[in-house]
Formats: sequence, structure tokens, C-alpha cells
Amino acid sequence: MTTNTTSRSFDVETTDHAQGLNMPQRAGNKLWKPMLAMALMGFAVGVLLAAVRASAIANGDSASTIASLGHLVPAAMFAGFASVFAAISFAIARILGELRTGGGAVQESAGVPVETLKMPPTAKAFMGLMALAMMTILAGVVAHVVIGAQVASGSASALADSEQWAIWLEGVRRFGVALYLFAIALGLGTIIHVLRFQAIRIRELASETTR
Amino acid sequence: MANPFTTLTRPVPGSDYRVPSPHRRTGLLIAAVGLGLAMITLIANLMAGGQVEESAGILAWSFGLTTTAFGTVKFGIAVILIGILVRIHHRWDSMKEALPRIKATGDGSRLPLGQVDTPYGTATVIDRAPGSLPIHKMARRMWGPMLAMGAMFVVAGFFVSLVWSSSATGDPLTATRAAAWTQGLQFLGEGFLLSGISFLLGSILGLVRDGGAEVQQSLGLSVKLLDMPNTAKAFVGLMVTGLMISIAQFVFYVYAAANVTTINIAANSAWLGPFRELGLGLLLAGIVLALATIGTALAFQAGRVREIIATGR
Repeated sequence: MTTNTTSRSFDVETTDHAQGLNMPQRAGNKLWKPMLAMALMGFAVGVLLAAVRASAIANGDSASTIASLGHLVPAAMFAGFASVFAAISFAIARILGELRTGGGAVQESAGVPVETLKMPPTAKAFMGLMALAMMTILAGVVAHVVIGAQVASGSASALADSEQWAIWLEGVRRFGVALYLFAIALGLGTIIHVLRFQAIRIRELASETTR
Repeated sequence: MANPFTTLTRPVPGSDYRVPSPHRRTGLLIAAVGLGLAMITLIANLMAGGQVEESAGILAWSFGLTTTAFGTVKFGIAVILIGILVRIHHRWDSMKEALPRIKATGDGSRLPLGQVDTPYGTATVIDRAPGSLPIHKMARRMWGPMLAMGAMFVVAGFFVSLVWSSSATGDPLTATRAAAWTQGLQFLGEGFLLSGISFLLGSILGLVRDGGAEVQQSLGLSVKLLDMPNTAKAFVGLMVTGLMISIAQFVFYVYAAANVTTINIAANSAWLGPFRELGLGLLLAGIVLALATIGTALAFQAGRVREIIATGR
């Protein structure tokens, strides 16, 4: 199958010089490392609290201690998951940034007009869903911490409702994870789109260059 | 004999580099199905929360379906990564065709051999393209079996979750055993799926390196390659640790299922849940580092292409 697609068939911006990173890509460059560090801390705290809870169950400690830790453990683990998914999203944004600046710089060095892809719909959906997924998981984490604190403070009604909340929040945070994974799929799909554009544009340079 | 999985990552002979990727469309579709399954389990959990006393059966199948939903989205991601590999092949073909016509003629000299510092890390200049690194060869061989095994374990775990669900109210012993098997199987499957994705990312790193070397050699130039960054080394370490934990949690769950009557299941479940999540978390942390390494490798290559265009050497 053949097609007459050229780089102009894409939604591009043409400039004299290579464009720099856009705002989400700059954020990606700066934030992937701190997010990764936060994720590892979240997992470490979660596993530690889980060991304390297992010991509390084995020793027959109070129901409120066990129930309270039952909320704090998923809070820590899912703070870790929210952070690691954010780190993955930022690392994908960083790759998109390198493709954008690198592709522009190569065109500029070849002495041709620089064509840069405008942000595709999949990239916009990637950012929107990533934010939504992050908020969904963090809402679950905050709710777990609040309920865990109420149970730990001795509230009988909080202890009575603890399991019901655990079931609801489990559903919410799991859906947040699925949403995050889908956002990541959209981010990776955007990389395919950019690579296709670049494969077409590179061949065009040979006919446009004055060298 | 050619590895059938490796063939999937190459463009079909005679295919047009300009047509949109079928992998992207298929991968996103599979991922959307996974998201739909997760939506069903969200509704199930919201309903179960309203009737805690009778919720055991619902929670059992919804656990199995949620993990299946995650596995489905991850499988979609894997399909998209395969599409990225195919596109990188197309990109190299385009470079091989275009660069001889746009690079400077140069003075006939070649870059001096040895190590050089670049803004992206230490690089090595060599005479000709080296072969693939053993770790990249392994990644090319392993992503397919890992994904296949991962999918099988996740689906098997889902069917066991139906047994767990049906015995949840009447047969506690069977339910406890089935719960242990469901969790162990599905998180082993998730671990294998994430390992498959990690191996695909390793294959992308290998293709970026080997393809770059091949393009430089085809131009008759010295080959300048980025040395393995620390992020790549840490990626391998995290991936191996995560996979080991995923296998270990499965062993612990099988042990728990076999000894339901003699061990404290509640106490063991309390640490096994976060432990199995730790395995996946470390695999995901490794994936972050793999993506970061791909970003660095792409930046290095853009710099090298600019150097070739400007100096012809």
C-alpha cells in the first residue's frame, strides 16, 4: 500500500529555527527524578507499615490499631504508585521533548525550514487523563489517611464503617491505576505518531537541502 | 531459526513508512477494553461497599477482573511498544537514504578513536559497528515469552477468582485456598507482563544503539556510541529485583494455600499484599529508568546527526 503523505499532511508549525521544549516537556525533564524518588519512599513506608500490621494481627493487638494500619498501608503504597506512574508519564514527555528539539535541530543544521509537529490530540488526552488519574488515586490516598487517623483516634463509628470505606476506596484507587495506564498508552502512541512524522520529514530534507 | 517474536518488531517487507501504524490503533483499542473492565469493577466495589456482609463473593470476582483489566491495558501498551520498534526501523531506513545527500562533504578525515565526553555522557568512537550487547540480545528473545506467560497467568487467576467467588459464602476453606491462588497467579502474571514491557524497552534501547551504529558505518564514518548510562544499569537491577519478588510472592501464596489450616492466614495476607505490590512497584521504577535512558540516547543521536550534517565526519 502506498500513500502520498508528506510532512505537510501533519499539523505542523514552520519556523526558521528549531523550537525548544514546550511546557509539559520542561516539566517532564524536571520532575521525573523527584517522582521516582517519592515512589520508592512510598513503597518502603508501605512495606514497613505492612510488617507492623502483620505483627499486630499475629499478636492479637486492638481492632482499631489493625483497622487503622489497614488504611495507612494502601495509602502509602498507592502514594508510591501515583508517583511512579507520574514518573513514567514525565519520562515519556521527556522523550517527546527530545524528539521535538532534536528533530528541529537536525532540520536547522541541514539549512531547511524547520517543521515541528503541533501537539497531537493523543498527547492532549495523555495529559488530561494523567491529571485525572493522579487526582483519583490521590483522593483515595487522602481518604485512607483521614479514615485511618479517625480510627486510630478511637472513633467507634469510624471503626464500624472502616471496612465499608476500605471496599469503596479499593475500587476508586484501582480505577485510578487503570486510568493512569491508559494515559501512558496514549503517551506512547504519541511517540509512534512523532516517529512516523520524522521518518517522512528526514527523506524530504534530501530534496530541500541546498548543500 | 529466526525468533518469531523478533519478526513482529520489524516492518513487513515492502511496507510503506508513511502509512499510520496499525500497532498504535490496536494497542489503544486493547487498552480501552482494559479500562472498560476496570470501570465494571469500580461499579462492583461501590455496590459491594453498600452491603459489606454479603460482599465477599462480589469482591472475589471483582479482584480477579480488576487484575485482568490491568493486564489487558499493559498488553495494549506492549503492542504500542512493538509499534515503536517498527517505526524506529523505518526511521533508520529514512536516515540511511537521506544522510548521504545532506551531510557535509568533509575533509576525508575521521574522528579520532577512543572515549570522548559529550553533554549526554561518555561516548566511545570505534572503527566499525559493534554487535548487539548481550543484554539487548536477551531483551529481543525474552519479551515475547514473558508477555505470553504473563497473559496466561493473569487469565488463569481470573478463572480461579470465580471459584473463590462461588465458594466465598458456603465453603470458607476452599475460598481461602482459591483467594491465595488467585492473588499469587495474577500478580505473578502482572510481574511477567511488566517484565515483557521492560524487555521491549530494552529492545528499543538496543535498536537505537545498533541502528545508530549501522547508519554511521553505512556512511563510511567512524562509529560514535554512547556508553551505557547509569540509568540503564539501575534499570536492569530494579527489573531483576521486581521480577524476583513477583516470583517469591507466588511461592509464598502457594505455601499459604497448602497450609490454610496451620498458619495465620490473616497475618500472612497483611504483609503479602504490599509485598507483591512492591514487586510491581520496582518493575515500574525500572521502566521509568528505561524511558529516561531512551530519552538520553535520542538526545545523543540527534547531536551526532547534527555533527555528521555539519562536519561530514
